Amino acid sequence: MTQATITMSDLRKRYGTTDVVAGMTLSIGPGVTGLLGPNGAGKTTLMRMLATVLAPTSGDLRLLGLDPADRDERTEMRRRLGYMPQEPGFHRHFTAFEFVDYIAILKEMTDTRERHRDVRRVLELVGLGDVAGQRIRKLSGGMRRRVALAQALLGDPELLVLDEPSAALDPEQRMRFRELASGLGQERIVLVSTHQTEDVAALCQRVIVMHDGRAVFDDTPAQLSALAHGRVWIADQRDPRAQLWWRTAEGHHRHVGDPPPAAQLVEPTIEDGYLLLVGPQAADARVAA
Amino acid sequence: MTWHVRPDLLERYARGDAEATQAYSVEAHLPSCEHCRGQIAALVDAGRLERVWDDIEEHLDAPRRGPVEAGLIRVGVPDHVARLLGATPALRLSWLLACALVLVFAAWGASRRTEGLVVFLALAPLLPIAGIAAAYGPDLDPTYEIGLAAPMHSLRLLLIRALAVLVTTTATTAVASLALPGLHWSAAAWLAPSLGLTLTSLALATRLAAPAACGSVAVVWLLSVAIGGRVTDEPLLVFGLAGQLTCMLVAAIAAAVLARNTDSFERRGGIA
Amino acid sequence: MSAERSDVEVLAAVADGDRRALRVLYDRHAPWLALRLARRCADPGVVDETIQDTFMAVWRSAGRYSGQGDVGAWIWGIAIRRLIDALRRLPRAEVLVAEVHDRPCVEEDVLLGVEHGDLGGALSRLSPELRAVVQATVLDGLTSREAGRLLGIPAGTVKTRMMRARAQLREELA
Repeated sequence: MTQATITMSDLRKRYGTTDVVAGMTLSIGPGVTGLLGPNGAGKTTLMRMLATVLAPTSGDLRLLGLDPADRDERTEMRRRLGYMPQEPGFHRHFTAFEFVDYIAILKEMTDTRERHRDVRRVLELVGLGDVAGQRIRKLSGGMRRRVALAQALLGDPELLVLDEPSAALDPEQRMRFRELASGLGQERIVLVSTHQTEDVAALCQRVIVMHDGRAVFDDTPAQLSALAHGRVWIADQRDPRAQLWWRTAEGHHRHVGDPPPAAQLVEPTIEDGYLLLVGPQAADARVAA
Repeated sequence: MTWHVRPDLLERYARGDAEATQAYSVEAHLPSCEHCRGQIAALVDAGRLERVWDDIEEHLDAPRRGPVEAGLIRVGVPDHVARLLGATPALRLSWLLACALVLVFAAWGASRRTEGLVVFLALAPLLPIAGIAAAYGPDLDPTYEIGLAAPMHSLRLLLIRALAVLVTTTATTAVASLALPGLHWSAAAWLAPSLGLTLTSLALATRLAAPAACGSVAVVWLLSVAIGGRVTDEPLLVFGLAGQLTCMLVAAIAAAVLARNTDSFERRGGIA
Repeated sequence: MSAERSDVEVLAAVADGDRRALRVLYDRHAPWLALRLARRCADPGVVDETIQDTFMAVWRSAGRYSGQGDVGAWIWGIAIRRLIDALRRLPRAEVLVAEVHDRPCVEEDVLLGVEHGDLGGALSRLSPELRAVVQATVLDGLTSREAGRLLGIPAGTVKTRMMRARAQLREELA
């Protein structure tokens, strides 16, 4: 008996003396849920636990009603999930088709014809139908990520855990990915971790912001931008006291927080809300990006 | 193209009812006329054409099979298992080349008598565990993380590969040992240690990463051979009857440990 | 069907490794191939196999199309030879020798309209064996040896029958 949800209760992962995931309690249902957070927030660790690849230190976790701590239920869960890790590795001598076929075998697809059909299907879905016969080492970074995404789609899983799926994709591919993900999210649980706030805006019905191992926000993207309502300003000069600011493309300075002198109030975006939550640490990362 | 086939004739032709002259006309005409070709396409069973296309795609996509994989399939190994083995770095040509080095040692051993034999017997059991180290582990298997999230038990994958590595290295070493002087039971004295080392490495791999497990076992083995030889002034001590029995015992214990700890291969970082 | 690529363009794309272009070619040509092959071989399994082999060969040798003659005719040339190969692997009972009518060898580029009654009549008065060799050599474009393989007779017999067919037609049409 399975339910279409992920539930966790005080989920914790400790390395040494640090709680990388510090007690998260959440329930995630069908649709696309975004996981946003700076580096080191624990996103990847959480993703790994949800993909059954890492065992939690403590806390309760149920995936589609199954308990990953139990070996048989874990195996059953793995039949229903697709995981795209943050840094996928490849046997480089494989072609894209051969690699996805190999993973399909690990996913217990033993009928060769059926398996090859599914491999073709997922490669088409991510737009790699034409290069299926190319060796992976000859593919660009963006294409390799799409190969990694394709293998997560094998067997049409109920749960998709995608860690940074749109990193290294160009804008056109990113749009294509968003279309794909929304389509999948109609009936499945799709969890996407990302740095890109535009992806969240365009794609997610719900966004969770993680910081220092905890969920500091859990609501719709619109609510995330609303957090910064009345607190985003554009000025010609940079305010030296400001903690969160950056230069815009037009040469102005966007400030989040207290109004700098001679500034104009503007409508907030998701990014503003996010930065307000996670602070200057994330802003530095953004500027560096 | 000014002349096209009348629709009713096309239909008769498609049904096989056209009279010979008319069929001839149609056939002479069709290869060059896209209009009539389009018309007739609607009259042929689409399902059948789709099936044939499926076959074509299957042939075009069929992953290239290396010689190892093809050979395995010929002896009756199922398609997908052969594919898994074929992807094992340990079974690829470069690895087999390394195994061929054993032949070199054998030849050297043939000319050096006792010392040669000791070197050969000491090194032969290390081949399978080097292969296992290369076949599995977070550092050396790039698809490690994706593989963990897949339902196939990682231990099963490891064991399949370990078996493949063991078989290949045993076969190569057996051939090489024929080159040793005087066909003697001692030429096969590496078999039991091979098995012992392999199982011990696998058992240790439940606690350590595969390369570390294999490395430590290798070190302990080489030390035993060296010390055993030094202490008793009998270089082949480890390979004598007592030594063989010890290896078998170690193998049995390791197998038991392995059986009890199968779970630890299932997640990152070992024991759940 | 406007603004569609010509067969030559599609074939060029296939030579470049474009799988989708192969599909386009398949959709255009496989249907008539299936029908035409069926009139030379009664076994649908062999026909299906031949279609598959043909398009695999098209995929591999698309770059070798010389540009002479239609792509459809080029594909037929591949297909009929694949059929011959397949038939050589089979017992002869599978071969259907189709009823065939001759085209005068001197006017190979004249398209036979169905209305050309007396020509058709002369052809229909050839015996079935003569019609078969004429179809194989003239319509299908095979050499005497290939025609022999298709029909299960020696090449020499093909040649003699062709001579008799020509002689009979010249006599009738004169």
